[in-house]
Amino acid sequence: MSESAPLTIDQPGQVASATPPAPGRSRRLSDRWLAGAFISPALLLLLAMSVFPLLWALYLSFTDYSATRGGPAHFVWFENYTAILTSAQVHLRALTTLIYVVGAVALQTTLGFSIAYLISRRTHGRGVLTTLFLVPMMLSPVVVGLFWRFMLDAQFGVINSMLGSLGLGQVEWLTRQGTALLSLIVVDTWQWTPFIMLIALAGLTAVPKYLYEAASIDRASEWFRFRTITLPLVWPLLLIAVLFRAIEAFRLFDLVYILTSGGPGVSTETLSFHVYKVAFLGFNTGTASAYGILMVLIVLVLTQLYLRYLNKLKED
Amino acid sequence: MRYPRRIGRLSVPSRKAQLAAAAMLVATTMAACGGGGEDDGATSSAPKAPATIPELTKDPLTLSFIWFDWPPAHALEDFANAEYTKERSNVTIKVKTVPNANWHDAMFTQFAARKTDFDIPILDSQHIGEAVTNGNILDITDFVKKNIDVKAYNPYLLAAYGQYPQAETGKRDENASLYGLPLLGDTWTMIYRKDLIGDKPPQTWDEMISVAEKCQADNPGVSGLAFHQANGSDAAAVTYNTVNGVYGGNLWDAKSRKIDGVVNDAAGQEAMDVLVNKMKPLTAKGSGNWFIDEVNAAVAQGKACIAFNWIAASGGLLDPKQSTLGTTREQILDKLGFAPLPSQKTNLVPLGGMGMHISAYSPQANQAEALNFMKWFEQADIQKKWAAAGGVPARTDALESPEFLNAGPFNKVYADSVSRMRDMWNVPEYARLIDIENTNVNAALNGAKKPKDALDDIAKEQQAVLDSGNRKGGGGL
Repeated sequence: MSESAPLTIDQPGQVASATPPAPGRSRRLSDRWLAGAFISPALLLLLAMSVFPLLWALYLSFTDYSATRGGPAHFVWFENYTAILTSAQVHLRALTTLIYVVGAVALQTTLGFSIAYLISRRTHGRGVLTTLFLVPMMLSPVVVGLFWRFMLDAQFGVINSMLGSLGLGQVEWLTRQGTALLSLIVVDTWQWTPFIMLIALAGLTAVPKYLYEAASIDRASEWFRFRTITLPLVWPLLLIAVLFRAIEAFRLFDLVYILTSGGPGVSTETLSFHVYKVAFLGFNTGTASAYGILMVLIVLVLTQLYLRYLNKLKED
Repeated sequence: MRYPRRIGRLSVPSRKAQLAAAAMLVATTMAACGGGGEDDGATSSAPKAPATIPELTKDPLTLSFIWFDWPPAHALEDFANAEYTKERSNVTIKVKTVPNANWHDAMFTQFAARKTDFDIPILDSQHIGEAVTNGNILDITDFVKKNIDVKAYNPYLLAAYGQYPQAETGKRDENASLYGLPLLGDTWTMIYRKDLIGDKPPQTWDEMISVAEKCQADNPGVSGLAFHQANGSDAAAVTYNTVNGVYGGNLWDAKSRKIDGVVNDAAGQEAMDVLVNKMKPLTAKGSGNWFIDEVNAAVAQGKACIAFNWIAASGGLLDPKQSTLGTTREQILDKLGFAPLPSQKTNLVPLGGMGMHISAYSPQANQAEALNFMKWFEQADIQKKWAAAGGVPARTDALESPEFLNAGPFNKVYADSVSRMRDMWNVPEYARLIDIENTNVNAALNGAKKPKDALDDIAKEQQAVLDSGNRKGGGGL
């Protein structure tokens, strides 16, 4: 009979290191081995489902491989990349995506922060209001796209019906160049403003109350308190929310697919939608892989620059 | 002291270990890619089906089709389970459906994986080239010779749903290989409001436009025309192709593979001008994304004087539950008329419908069952039963039978249109060609491009796709 390990710990670090292996446990079953065994399923899954496909896509991006045509993949080296970077079609989609990302994220940030600020000032019903505002975020983008498609229908949609009752004319929301992209931005904003609101609300709640009390004693105006206390303290957190939303908006596909199919013409085709067409209409797998890799690189580079700015902001 | 140090080593592996792991991953990937390439090279053209049907299994078997979600798909499943099981009681028919916009992708992504969960893909006639070139479907030429009475068909119908390389319009090349058999014939019908424009349908395209114009002016709230304009599937493209054909245009010169200078010639330009400047102003506001369902909804709600739609999708128009035009089928038919498309410089109409094909990756027992199903389905009496069940048959005797002609008011339209049909290209590049045409016609219809620019862009971009065979890198942009 061996003595059992002590259950009480006076000095956690010391006792943990001095505790002998559990009785009956093989000497080979060290902590290190156990740790490896526990994380290996998750690690293998990650390697199989994320890292391996990414590396395979990287390899295919240097070839002319087509998934349906089959046959061996021939190396074309950087020709896919050159073709993508010099393609007028890609430049057009990049511009559309840029307008969409800037428009949607700016609108969501402004609205999200405003709503969070108003909610944070309430003492009653804050929880209920927050929950209600979060509902759109919990819906599937396909469902959101489908019901907004009905609502924005020029003939039978509720939006035009409301405009009509106000004496305004019908608007072709989804079929005109000027309004189709705007409609996408509005729908995305409806769904994702709560995300910005939630993070901004967390930041606003964390602002120490004594700062406001001190400002009140000094008879500081509301605007002064917002400008010198609220905004600087919430800003870094808000920027992280903006980063998440910008990455999400950059790879927008589902709303475009459901609401406009990229139309009219190709005027609402985003980069992701274009990659889908390259990959599945012509099954140009090599080109589509290079396109995808370039999109990942753009997000990585922009994120790095953004994070550096955030770190600098923290240090300042 | 020992424990914390171990944690540190575990959480941050050394640089050498990181590099080694990365190198292993890259090596694994390269090895996997190399192997895949060799395997894939094994199939480059369609494998042949046996001339005689192999012995069929007596075990329970599910024969799976794949189609897009529309009434004929459900009619086929009900019909086949009711009739085919009388002959083969161990077989269950399952028609898997996907949204129309995903139809091509749903089939060809499985073909790309060299494994399908369906046995009989129902391909659009234009998909044949892509499937044959990639070796995705069986060559059934020998099987057809031995088991199918080809003389019972209009030769062009047999060719359109199975022959590759593509047949000349209206003909069949008897020396060409066959990869499918007709399942559902289809074309556009003109649907018109008898109570608004009279019993006699317009005979020419110009007359049709002027009648629609007058009807719209006389009936506020009702638009003159309703037709497909969406940029998904082949919606807007079929509309342009129809007008192009009627005004004497051509989509391409198949022999020289020339599109630029053909589709955008004077006839093509006139067709685009008629479509955008004469027909589009007669449609409802915001109809720029309408396809089959939206056109049917406009007709059923009494919002269009004249509409164009596929015959196979028109059955719902006679359902009083879906219509505001009457409380009975007879009342609706007092107001709605169905007629073949008006002619102008030619009398061409679009070829619709689909054929049955056999997946090259289906198990042998299922492939044998699929061949047996095809042979059964193409018999004269079964084709007549299919017609009575709501299908559109392809055999001439079934097309002329009372079972078909009396099954719906639009069926005579189909029978009268068979000799007028023209198809698009069925080349392997079809999916890209149709996308280029769809997006550009949709842009022209919705004011995002001038009609002439849109047509010239179609010609230039489609020609580039056909000419890109030897291009290295950047294909598909």
